[in-house]
Amino acid sequence: MPTLIAVFAIVAGACSASATPSPVPTATAAPPTAPPPATAAHAATAPSTPSAAPSAAPSYANVPLIVYSAQGYDSAVVKAFQAATGIPTQLVDDSTGPLLVRIQAEANNPKWGVLWVDGAEAFAALDKQGMLLRGYEPNVPFNAVGRSLIPADTSYIPTGVTMAGTLVYDSKVVTAPPTSWNDLLTAPWKNAVGMNNPSVSGPTYPFVAGLMNYAGGVSQGEAFFTKLKANGLKVNNTNPDTLHELETKQIRIALIQSSAGIGAGIANPSIKTAFIDPSTPIPGVIGIDAKASPAVIAEAKAFAAYVLSPAGQKVMQGGDPTGDSLYWPIVDGVSALPQLPVLSTVPAKAIDPYTWGPLESTINRWFSDTIVP
Amino acid sequence: MTMGSGRTDAAPAGPSGRRAFVDPDLGPIARISRSRVLGRIGRLGLPIALWFAIGALLVVPMAAFLVQAFSPRLFGTGPEWFTLANIEHAFGATTVVGLVDSLVVSVATSLIAVVVGGLLAWGVHRTDLPGRRLWPVLVWVLLLIPSFLVAQGWEYLLQPGGVLSQFGLDTSALFTAFYGPLGVVFVLSMTALPFAYITISAALLNLGSEFEEAARVHGAGPVGTARIMIPILAPGLLSAAAIVFAETMSDFGVASTLAASAHFPVATYVLFEAINNNPADFGLAAAIGWLLVASAAIPILVQAWALRGRTFAVVSGRTRIPARTRLRPTTRTIATIATAVLFVIALGAPVLGAVVASLLKDFGTSFSFQALTFESYRQVLAGDLGLADPLIFSTSLAVIAAVVTVVLGLAVARLLTSRGGGRVGRITDLVLLGSVALPGIVLAAGYIFAYNLPGLTNLGLDLYETTPLLIMGYVATALPQQARLMVGPVSQLQESLVLAARVHGSSALAAWGRTVVPVLSRVLLWGALLTFAKTLLELPVSQLLYPPGSRPVSVAINLYVSGLHYDTGTAMTVVALVEEFAVIVIALGLFRLLAPRGWRRGLGPT
Repeated sequence: MPTLIAVFAIVAGACSASATPSPVPTATAAPPTAPPPATAAHAATAPSTPSAAPSAAPSYANVPLIVYSAQGYDSAVVKAFQAATGIPTQLVDDSTGPLLVRIQAEANNPKWGVLWVDGAEAFAALDKQGMLLRGYEPNVPFNAVGRSLIPADTSYIPTGVTMAGTLVYDSKVVTAPPTSWNDLLTAPWKNAVGMNNPSVSGPTYPFVAGLMNYAGGVSQGEAFFTKLKANGLKVNNTNPDTLHELETKQIRIALIQSSAGIGAGIANPSIKTAFIDPSTPIPGVIGIDAKASPAVIAEAKAFAAYVLSPAGQKVMQGGDPTGDSLYWPIVDGVSALPQLPVLSTVPAKAIDPYTWGPLESTINRWFSDTIVP
Repeated sequence: MTMGSGRTDAAPAGPSGRRAFVDPDLGPIARISRSRVLGRIGRLGLPIALWFAIGALLVVPMAAFLVQAFSPRLFGTGPEWFTLANIEHAFGATTVVGLVDSLVVSVATSLIAVVVGGLLAWGVHRTDLPGRRLWPVLVWVLLLIPSFLVAQGWEYLLQPGGVLSQFGLDTSALFTAFYGPLGVVFVLSMTALPFAYITISAALLNLGSEFEEAARVHGAGPVGTARIMIPILAPGLLSAAAIVFAETMSDFGVASTLAASAHFPVATYVLFEAINNNPADFGLAAAIGWLLVASAAIPILVQAWALRGRTFAVVSGRTRIPARTRLRPTTRTIATIATAVLFVIALGAPVLGAVVASLLKDFGTSFSFQALTFESYRQVLAGDLGLADPLIFSTSLAVIAAVVTVVLGLAVARLLTSRGGGRVGRITDLVLLGSVALPGIVLAAGYIFAYNLPGLTNLGLDLYETTPLLIMGYVATALPQQARLMVGPVSQLQESLVLAARVHGSSALAAWGRTVVPVLSRVLLWGALLTFAKTLLELPVSQLLYPPGSRPVSVAINLYVSGLHYDTGTAMTVVALVEEFAVIVIALGLFRLLAPRGWRRGLGPT
């Protein structure tokens, strides 16, 4: 036992400095090397309102900002943000599932400052539990799509958009892909369609919810998926499993997130991505911890503003060029990567996260019990 | 000396049934009493410290999680202070199906693993089976390979368009059979085989051949000898069955890959889905957790019933190195071929699967000879994917966890086997097996609930998201296995070994150091290597507890594998496995070079 305590003491001594956030200092001046947060962003993107930058911020001297993120480009963005602002930023980089488990298990004593994952539904659910800071949107020139993704209570911040449930196929095998959702229920596509399990794969729930919304409601949506199952739908855990079935020709159509499909097309040019009307947009979203200290909140706001600045967008687009970087930007003046079709040509219809977010667990459980087996 | 008999002092009655009363003014008699009291405190000190450790590592976090089945309000995960709704949910159709599936799979896997592992151990340690030095090394290689890789390796071989079909073989019938309960039991039996083999080996190695010889002298054939030996080996066999059962109940690697793809729901997966939902349903997950813990009681009850009141201490200072049975030529050939086939099946597929996947281009999920490339290795080793930092971080934590776990594991094994341990031993056993039966995600979430309380933060004890807490989580994950593996060898050490050293003037600690440690040195070394290997690629605890900015290697691999960088992730897995294997080879080499000769002849699974 003494050995154990000694070892722990040594480790604690060695590691706690880097691992444990130090107590929040109150009114220390920002170090001279750290520029005010996001000034560059605002200067470049919103020259008319430079003073709208997070003005209450600059006391974040040595309080680490902890970012929980599942984005492929997160580590590049966090590094660039720290270099640009001097704000010490630490990343917990993981899949959406474990990050949300962490956040909910630490609900009594949150440690996170920023959560950055795909899909607004999870944020709507967190907002309903009072866990998200409301009332802040970075002062950046959001385009029309971006503005449509901002929630009424400004409890989260969209950072880009991809599409859920896009049609991914091998053009050597499929020459005429289905053109409507109902086509998937017909004989030519029997035993040919695969998708992920929304209980396991984060970006799949928006697809299920979007289709249910299109079908007219939960029960009509359930009827649609039941028919799809009767027509031989195959459900896998995550993207690699579904893509694998596509490559090994166990299925001919994979219904997966657009970034995954377009990314697969970069590796293998005969893989194509098509969009059925309507496709459901999945925004990349930043949420700020409502219970964080004022210093951390100021840093988190600076982080969101940096992400949406031209500099931040450039890092996002370079951080994971065959994966998550394949999103459509939602601020004016930034173009999508060349592999993406023009967003206005994609037949998209957004769903209300505050309607569909609270239904997630019920619908996922129904899907697991009824469609997966 | 009966003065204190009416008091309720902490010191328990000694062997004479008398209690001591301490008063500094009472002269020589009291001084004797005082030294006895101190002795008793000393004797109690270790178990108390041990229970404190077990409490902090396992009981508190597990309880913090499990209590949410009844009182979600306690940790702010639901509105009710008391509810039975979660238990009711846990008896819903999906969960019950999952639990029954898990029980059936675990029983079948225990039987297969104990029979195959037992035969292999017997062949390696008690016969002149060729390759006796090779097979134990392969067992350890098998132990290092995560169960999901074994499952995946087979999928790669058998599936339509897979490796075997590239050679023109039609594997569709085999694939259909593999994709379901049969495949799950098969893969889990392969991955559980090392636990059975090592536990039974430890029991066998500690046993001189005098019992077999006595049986033979009295005219017993192989069957008769087995009838004598199996009861003597009962603690080892039952221990092996118990650990395989609990390991299989809690397996998540196969549950989340093969079983999930084959739509064969097992309990751990149902639990995972409850937690992974949004918002997470900790209450339902905790209720399923209770069912898993209750299931761990099954092997304990069987073990207690089978071993009640019997002693199995057969290793003493006089134990000799056992003689080996010479197999008949035909038996020898068949046994050699069977062993070789076993390892080709158990190891060949996952290794091939991992290597092939890591060499694929495209998005790394299909096989064709044209697609093979070393690009992913170049990226992992020379690119800027940053495997070095996670690998160094995880390696150092795995080393610390291994050392701590071995020390604690030995002490716990001693507690479990000490005579008179009775109820305390059984409760400890239940706690340990119960924690094995819970999947890692439960323990990890329990750590957040227990060690991220606002009260602790106010006291300055901010343990959550620190490296020490992550190490505690690793130790907690490895300790039950470690203690189990040591129970066999420790239970067979006769007290006379230590007593002999005490008679010759050694202190209690020195007596242990001179008798027990040398005899167990190889078991301790292998135990440490096991924890090292398992910790290096441990996922669920790493995911939920890792300190911001310090990503463990398993989390990095998982992100690449579950994202669109399958080939890179698999290449990382191969690099990490190579590192594990190198560390094991170096550690064993150093042991051979540096350890005193007597230590090398001690007990161990080789």
